[in-house]
Amino acid sequence: MLYDIKLHLHYDYAAAAGGGRHQVRVMPQTIAGVQRVIAASLSFQPTPAERADFSDFFGNNVTSIAFRDAHETLDIRMSARVSVSRPEPGLDVSPDISGLKSELDTVRSLSPSAPHHFLAASDHVGIDAAITAYARDSLSGSTVATAVDLCNRIHRDFAYDGKATTVQTRASDAFALKRGVCQDFSHIMIAGLRGLGIPAGYVSGFLRTIPPKGKPRLEGADAMHAWIRAWCGRDAGWQEFDPTNGMRASNDHITVGYGRDYSDVAPIVGVLKTTGGQVGEQAVDVIPVAA
Amino acid sequence: MAKGNQRRAGGRPRAQSLLERYRPIEGIADEMVDASGNARPAWRSFIGALDDLGAERLGQRFARADQYLRDAGVYYRVYEQAGANEREWPLAHVPLLIDEKEWAEISAGLVQRADLFEAILADVYGPNRLVEKGILPAGLIAASPEYLRPVAGVRPANGHFLHMVAFELGRGPDGRWWVLGDRTQAPSGAGFALENRVATTRALSDVYGEMHVHRLAGFFRRFRDALNGMAKESGGRVAILTPGPLNETYYEHAYIARYLGIMLLEGEDLTVSGGRLMVRTVSGLMPIGVLWRRLDAAFADPLELRPESQIGTPGLVEAIRRGTVSAVNALGSGLMETRALLSFLPRIARELKGDDLNLPSIATWWCGQEAARAHVLANIDRMVVGPALSTRLAFEDDGATRLGSSLSAGERAELVARIEADGDGFVGQEAVTLSTTPVFVGGLLEPRPASLRVYLARTPEGWAVMPGGFARIGFSLDPTAIAMQRGGQAADVWVVSDRPVERETLLPQEHDGFTRTMPGSLPSRAAENLTWLGRYIERSEDTVRVLRAYHVRLAETSDPDMPLLADIRDYLEPFGIEVETAIPPGLIGTLDSAVYSAGQIRDRFSPDGWLALKDLSKTIHKFAETVAPGDDATRAMTVMLRKLAGFSGLLHENMYRFTGWRFLEIGRRLERGIQIARTLSQLTRNGAPEGALDMMLEIGDSVMTHRRQYPVQAGRRTVIDLLALDPLNPRSILFQLERLKAEIGMLPSIGGEGHMSAAAKEILQLNTAIAVMEPSDMSAGTLDDLAGQIGGLYNSLAKAYFG
Repeated sequence: MLYDIKLHLHYDYAAAAGGGRHQVRVMPQTIAGVQRVIAASLSFQPTPAERADFSDFFGNNVTSIAFRDAHETLDIRMSARVSVSRPEPGLDVSPDISGLKSELDTVRSLSPSAPHHFLAASDHVGIDAAITAYARDSLSGSTVATAVDLCNRIHRDFAYDGKATTVQTRASDAFALKRGVCQDFSHIMIAGLRGLGIPAGYVSGFLRTIPPKGKPRLEGADAMHAWIRAWCGRDAGWQEFDPTNGMRASNDHITVGYGRDYSDVAPIVGVLKTTGGQVGEQAVDVIPVAA
Repeated sequence: MAKGNQRRAGGRPRAQSLLERYRPIEGIADEMVDASGNARPAWRSFIGALDDLGAERLGQRFARADQYLRDAGVYYRVYEQAGANEREWPLAHVPLLIDEKEWAEISAGLVQRADLFEAILADVYGPNRLVEKGILPAGLIAASPEYLRPVAGVRPANGHFLHMVAFELGRGPDGRWWVLGDRTQAPSGAGFALENRVATTRALSDVYGEMHVHRLAGFFRRFRDALNGMAKESGGRVAILTPGPLNETYYEHAYIARYLGIMLLEGEDLTVSGGRLMVRTVSGLMPIGVLWRRLDAAFADPLELRPESQIGTPGLVEAIRRGTVSAVNALGSGLMETRALLSFLPRIARELKGDDLNLPSIATWWCGQEAARAHVLANIDRMVVGPALSTRLAFEDDGATRLGSSLSAGERAELVARIEADGDGFVGQEAVTLSTTPVFVGGLLEPRPASLRVYLARTPEGWAVMPGGFARIGFSLDPTAIAMQRGGQAADVWVVSDRPVERETLLPQEHDGFTRTMPGSLPSRAAENLTWLGRYIERSEDTVRVLRAYHVRLAETSDPDMPLLADIRDYLEPFGIEVETAIPPGLIGTLDSAVYSAGQIRDRFSPDGWLALKDLSKTIHKFAETVAPGDDATRAMTVMLRKLAGFSGLLHENMYRFTGWRFLEIGRRLERGIQIARTLSQLTRNGAPEGALDMMLEIGDSVMTHRRQYPVQAGRRTVIDLLALDPLNPRSILFQLERLKAEIGMLPSIGGEGHMSAAAKEILQLNTAIAVMEPSDMSAGTLDDLAGQIGGLYNSLAKAYFG
């Protein structure tokens, strides 16, 4: 599938910000065998005093910007044309949990995609006894089957509610609430998988907005989206699941970046010199382009 | 102690030898005596010297060391349930003596270890061969919070990760030294080691002078030179980064900064511009080339490390990635403190260096590996078991780390179950018995367990080992009581030679020659704090003067409601000074604020200046409890005035007259100008109560001058002439303006040479306007406006220099 993606982030500061420094992670990346970025651009208003692009540890595109002068608003606009072509999930070749553990021990690597980074507790995702117990009910044969079941149960058991949580909400709190948004469901699923000993990470990206005929509209489409990936053994590798929609990641999922949880791949992080609060708005359009 | 209960052949009275009465503990190595109770060679002449002094004089001598530490204001911070408190430095007075031959072996072992650690960090943050070969488990590194992904793959600008490291050593029952733990993040205590030395030699100067003890200064000089050399290559300066005055070892940060002449900065002093780390100074942004950080790496940059950090600098990691600044030690170096890593060192040493460790670590097993886990479970009674990723020393970590033999059957079963379920999370370490060293208690020497911290610094010639260090000594025989946070003591460490040693100092030697360099640029935050210190001190003085004039009159009158007194009450009230209380809380608050401002910039204070300020604060708090209005308060205010004058005199006579002093002076002059203008307005206004003019002269300390200058009774015009317009009266408004004009004119120009700052223009206009005024021009309104205009000057200065 070919998409034109547009993102607009807008911030209003209650008191003029005297300056500040941010890192922005919104640009899709080219991922071999998954997607290809054909063109992309990122612009800022006001124009930052400094701007630099780099790849972070996980290979995500980061744009670092700094402002020295006072400004009351910040507008970030990203547009990209991306072609997505994910392989069909083939035969389930993943081992069971104890097999996974022995395979994990044979991976002698700390490369960005090495599973070891995704097993320990991280900022937003602690190892939580209640979530682990919940996840244990999904244990069934292979690692992939376990992940599929957990993904479906989270979709079924949790209510989508844009007001129940914030970007700072941790997995354990969202789990207790039994509600939240894509970020929360992803965190809960990651916590559950890690609790079982399955390496799991966070995927940030976009979801196609216009539903195909006859199919229901997918939730979470008018904002940036998030889902997860689980390491399912040496052969199956990383498999992606979308617990918000109870499905595996498809050609409707366009990837921006990977992390251990939201905090590794938040669209914008920053430190502002300001006395007041801020209000942010986000608008996303994912438009399929006729091939 | 009774003297003369034993007599030497020579007839000199002498108590029984300290050595004869020393009782080491069976089965435990002792630093002073060997297994048969004989003094070790390094200690012999030392013990003889202590005996010659005798217990009583020793007690006096050691009290002298404590006095030195109190006078120098040495403290550390303890975190207790009630909050953080400053504690006096707990010096164990008897140094730990080590023979230089044994020291040479320790040094060689530690240099090998430091080199090994450097190689491990270069590999883990680089090609990762140790992980690839299966020597280091990837899962262990990936789980460590000290493994910092944002700097993975980043080669340090100067090529090295480690520059200043410390190792904690203990001696086992077999007499061998073991490494108990490693400090690679931001080791503390090197400065305290220096203070221990100064204090100990205060007490034992003659003993120290006669023995051949290696000096510490050379170590610091070499490290300072190494830092300066690195900075020169980078085109920037050296700075020490501290978490701030609330940190447990802030005293040491300030001490080292002062001792080595290095800028002491906090995260907010720094900013990143164009990929370079810069310090905000009153002369603009200046590049930093070497950042000696005393804060944990995770807090160094809220953008890429811990986002909640309030003490970091956004963009620091980016500057490091671009190679424009070197961190000492490199961000991520804390990884080497991870307890579980100890179990892999022997194999890594063979792999990377083809060699065994000369100085072994305490035997450690990571339970993430099956054989090791089985060993720990089988020998749990001889183990200390704790979190695998902990970076604390086992005996500092009593909450999470347990001594196997001290567990109840239930606790033991629970621990075993946890290890079986989550082996990755645990390490077992051999439970060690530390050697003992003597402490002086009740006139006797008694053995106490000790550990030794040794410091290594990287220099262009290789690792320099501090010949000495920092011994931690338990108060009791419990080895876990050593940690400072739990009430241990610290002792100096003397490396003893049998030949004379080189006497090194930090000062340049005669043949070095010298060039006079001007002090570096003043950080903006320091300038702001200095200005406020000046203002708070002056405000305190002015308030004390008004209060004294008030209480003198209150004591003499039978009518406390007489108009003049009521007038002063009304005058002071809007400033938060309520005269009903002899020592008003508002005044105490002002002095506390002065201490706070000074505490933010302690590296810029001499110990004398700091003590004088603390004394001011202590005195007023004490007065607040006892002093009554009237006569009593008058006397108290006189004491306060004398002490304030003492503090001002110290600053005035001793502070180097450069930018820092200028901001302090500007603060004082601004505040005095404002206060005099306000008080004059109140007491010379039309309808001011009877006696107001005399009171004004008294507050302005100008009674005698007035008598000499004007052959008439004090009148409104003469008082205004003397206190507002006389350029020779150091308490007149015009005098303050002249001083402000001079000092503001000398401040660094922000908009380029020859460019006049807004503040400079304002003070010039103000000064000119006042200089041509006549007393009759000065209504109460004019004076009030003047106070406001002088206050406005502060805002212009703040905008230009403190932003």
